[in-house]
Amino acid sequence: MLMYTLKRLLAGVITVWFIATATFIAMHQVPGDPLMNDKAVSAEIRANLEAKYGLDKPVTTQYFIFLGNMLKGDFGISFTQQNRKVNDIIRDHFPVSATLGILAIFFAATGGVLFGALTAVYRNRMPDVAIMFLVILGISVPSFVFAALGQLMLVNINSLFGYSVIPVAGWGTIWHMLMPSLVLGLTTMALLTRLMRSSMLEVVNEDYIKTAKAKGLSPTRIFFRHQLRNAILPVVTVLGPQIAAITTGGFVVELVFAIPGLGRYFVQAVQQLDYTVIMGTTVFYGAFLVFMVIVVDILYGFIDPRVRLS
Amino acid sequence: MSETLLSVRDLEVEFDTYGGTVKAVRGVSFDVAKGETLAIVGESGCGKSVTVQTLMGLIPMPPGRITNGTATLKDKSILNLPAAEANKFRGVEIGMIFQDPMSSLNPTMTIGDQIAETLRVHRGKSHQEAFGMAIELLEKTHIPEAAKRARQYPFEFSGGMLQRAMIAQSLACNPSILIADEPTTALDVTIQAQILELMLELQRTEDMSIILITHDLAVVARMADRVAVMYAGQVVESGSVDDIFYQSAHPYTLGLKAAMPSNTHDRDKSLTPILGSPPDLFQPPAGCGYCARCPHAMKICAEHLPEITEVGDEHHARCWLQHESAPTIEMLHQAGG
Amino acid sequence: MSLFQPETSMFEPLETQDGAEVITRPSLSYWQDAWVRLKKNTRAIISLNIIILLAIFTLLGPFFWDVDPALQDLNQVSQPPSMPKTALVVGSYQSWDGVTIENYEPPEDYADSVPAPTNFRTEGKPTTQVVRLVWDPVPEADGYNVYRNVREPQGFADLGLPLGATYGDELSYEDRLSLESRDYYYSVVPTDGIDEYEIFARLVITPQLAITQEDALERGLINRIDDVAIGELVEIEFHPLGTDYLGRDMLARLMEGARVSLFIGIVAPLLYVIVGIIYGGFAGYIGGRFDVVLMRFADFVVALPFLLFMILFKIAFGIGPGESGIMPMLIALVLLMWPATARLVRGQVLQIREEGYIEAARLLGGKNHYLIMRHIIPNTMGVILVTLTFAVPAAIFTEAFLSFIGMGVAPPTPSWGSMCNEGVKTMLSHPHELFFPALLISITVLAFNLLGDGLTEALDSKMRSRD
Repeated sequence: MLMYTLKRLLAGVITVWFIATATFIAMHQVPGDPLMNDKAVSAEIRANLEAKYGLDKPVTTQYFIFLGNMLKGDFGISFTQQNRKVNDIIRDHFPVSATLGILAIFFAATGGVLFGALTAVYRNRMPDVAIMFLVILGISVPSFVFAALGQLMLVNINSLFGYSVIPVAGWGTIWHMLMPSLVLGLTTMALLTRLMRSSMLEVVNEDYIKTAKAKGLSPTRIFFRHQLRNAILPVVTVLGPQIAAITTGGFVVELVFAIPGLGRYFVQAVQQLDYTVIMGTTVFYGAFLVFMVIVVDILYGFIDPRVRLS
Repeated sequence: MSETLLSVRDLEVEFDTYGGTVKAVRGVSFDVAKGETLAIVGESGCGKSVTVQTLMGLIPMPPGRITNGTATLKDKSILNLPAAEANKFRGVEIGMIFQDPMSSLNPTMTIGDQIAETLRVHRGKSHQEAFGMAIELLEKTHIPEAAKRARQYPFEFSGGMLQRAMIAQSLACNPSILIADEPTTALDVTIQAQILELMLELQRTEDMSIILITHDLAVVARMADRVAVMYAGQVVESGSVDDIFYQSAHPYTLGLKAAMPSNTHDRDKSLTPILGSPPDLFQPPAGCGYCARCPHAMKICAEHLPEITEVGDEHHARCWLQHESAPTIEMLHQAGG
Repeated sequence: MSLFQPETSMFEPLETQDGAEVITRPSLSYWQDAWVRLKKNTRAIISLNIIILLAIFTLLGPFFWDVDPALQDLNQVSQPPSMPKTALVVGSYQSWDGVTIENYEPPEDYADSVPAPTNFRTEGKPTTQVVRLVWDPVPEADGYNVYRNVREPQGFADLGLPLGATYGDELSYEDRLSLESRDYYYSVVPTDGIDEYEIFARLVITPQLAITQEDALERGLINRIDDVAIGELVEIEFHPLGTDYLGRDMLARLMEGARVSLFIGIVAPLLYVIVGIIYGGFAGYIGGRFDVVLMRFADFVVALPFLLFMILFKIAFGIGPGESGIMPMLIALVLLMWPATARLVRGQVLQIREEGYIEAARLLGGKNHYLIMRHIIPNTMGVILVTLTFAVPAAIFTEAFLSFIGMGVAPPTPSWGSMCNEGVKTMLSHPHELFFPALLISITVLAFNLLGDGLTEALDSKMRSRD
């Protein structure tokens, strides 16, 4: 287990290096140059700025400086807000995105397991048909439509009560987080429900369920101790990649609900071609996702003895 | 013999499938006496597994359906019981082991926990106490290092060891009957012998009856006191193991024997397979199910279902050849002839 | 024992029984068999038909609906879906003196309460050019406030802000304020010159859509100014699904957008599946160290955070002026998505390479290229087809997502995603601008997903033995 963890971590570090390199290469392919935005800069100021950001050095030197700073955990200074460090931006905005993502994952996982189990229990009956219809809807409708509809719903609820029951946009209280995280988790919830359902139906035909029955266990005990627990395993395996999907999916939700998260900041940085912020955020997000997947995989080992012990 | 524990009469089971209704079990009767081993023999799809799974309430209903018959365990009916009622005898009075031990144990629970679970549910033991008893049960089934093994998961066990663990689990509450549904089919031949040996040993020490489902006549010869031969959802012949082997009264039993290798067999003679395949149980034939494959088939066999005829002491066969008007057949034990 | 006593003759041997076992199921090839099973899956077949309809909509639609998707009509901005409309041809605006009371004398005193104005009516035909309101005087009033509501007011307090006011002897009001052809609730409230009496008269009016001859000529509805006379009806531009915020025809834009969305949705998966097949096929067939290196690289590409790098690559390739940004998105998709197919194909090839029939074919003298073409590729086609089907909705989603956050197709090129982006801004007032593109995305994605499910079932060889 320890060896496995170390191996995974090493692979993770190499992956992050790859991400950083790919980011660097991609950013140096961008036509034009970072200082093009300030049309009025004189040649002198321009040279100063280039020196400040190290743009006057050869590309390979820039690359190694970039890697070295990255190792120190220093992502540089923003191009557009020249007194702001990228680290500060990440520190200010990432917790918001993370909170949103964790809530969304929580909604998606609990909802997916719950609804998936329900559909399996009521197979081909009303609850199953109804939930599976919603699942197909959840998979087919783009997330931004859900975001828009969610906001519309809040507007209607508030106008029904005549005052702002739940805030329509912004960030701060738990009420602000409710609708965005629900919307963000919706697609993943639909996927997990589908997975959980097929997993449940597969498990129910397993021989060990028959054994459990022959042992004289009550249906509730069989359901919770034997069926549910084994059916959740495949759901947990996809949780890692789904965390990645939810985190980046946060872009839209942050945009629509005006949430000051890192995703919104990233989109803004891309529009303004703020090089350091784009690079820093990409590498940070990439590293975060890579290690989240590793964490989920290791946690999975604790649930499934077959992985833990092999 | 001694007192009858389990008595099954005229059991009929159907399944609704998208292709129509399958009449899987068509009037099966047998008794199990205390301490004896009853072997139910037959080829795949003859209804032997369905019969015992129906007794244990393991048939999903729907699509399954019991259309006729009774089954009593110590004079109490055990068919069509709600789960709470059925659980008073499942795992307590009747233990059961299955064909594939690899898939019959929960992969995410330790072996010890799975055995202990039975004790905790039925005997109300604490976790610690039950786990200790589970280790004892594993020792009883000759699993080495039982205390360590009890903390392991099924994937860490070999097939034979798993079947031992399954047996230990089914014995947890000292059942009076052990149902073994093809317990050795998925195992290596050497392991098979060990498992059968273990079952015989435990039968003696625990004084229990065994219902052994198998398609292997060699296993029958070794284990059984009495035998019921099933074909197409019906018991075609039943009797003591000697009756079945030495005084076979049904052509199907003769066919099975001819298809079985033995060390007394003539070396130059090849084994004789039973040609053809069993009838379609979506539309069971009006007459004898074996008619189409029977070398001695008569006109009546195609049209009328033969009755159960007594051909000896506790020896019955369902065959028209046992009728007084039937011709004499070589090798076949006939009551009248 | 029983009552049944068979006759002796029945115990004669049965004649040989022929035809007891005949194989009745016809033999079908793999693809025939898959097609038969797919046809049984209603949902998959409906989905397939939807996809065909979408293709017709995209490719043939513009021939039947020949409207320029880029044509802006600022006279018809954000129109909801409607049936064909006609407009009344009117002359240019003629000023109106209104109605006044002759010999008007202001009231001496302020009354506590007054009756509501009576005989509230219109003068002339109400059109979108002008609505003229007239009412009978209330003796104690020294002026009137006129209100216009689009929803029926639920009482005096619900009237909102006045549209205008009249003073002294004026008993009429002329409304020319951005009139549309819809129901208006006009209310008139008597005042004492400053304050209102809490009573009003109401009138519901639906102004007739009106257009002047000059406008009609300018918008190309008529060829010459005297083609229609004043008072006649002229057909105006028809927008069955309404118009967007620049007055562009939604139907035409949806067709144009479909071409972009489906192009990316189908071409990108096709390209990266091909790349994946070649890459994975090579890795799997050659195997060894080569395979390890290739697959390790694929693992790295998989680990790139997808959307971040989509955005990154998109800006890296850049969009020059006048370009639509379709190509950069296509390249970015191919660059990021190929490893999944490569892994899948490699796994399949590795598995199939070890199968007995490959060994048998090799023993019979089959050459490498023969084995690949005859055995390996046909046997991976099923899996690849399923991957492709599921890749289409993923690519459509990605395009829509990027366009929605403004990183996708550059305006004015419409795509369903960018139309959603525009539509969401006016979601509250003009829901149709978001609804139609979102609906099309959803239907397309749904159809491809259900078809994929159906194909998976139909091509799964494990499923074959079940029925």
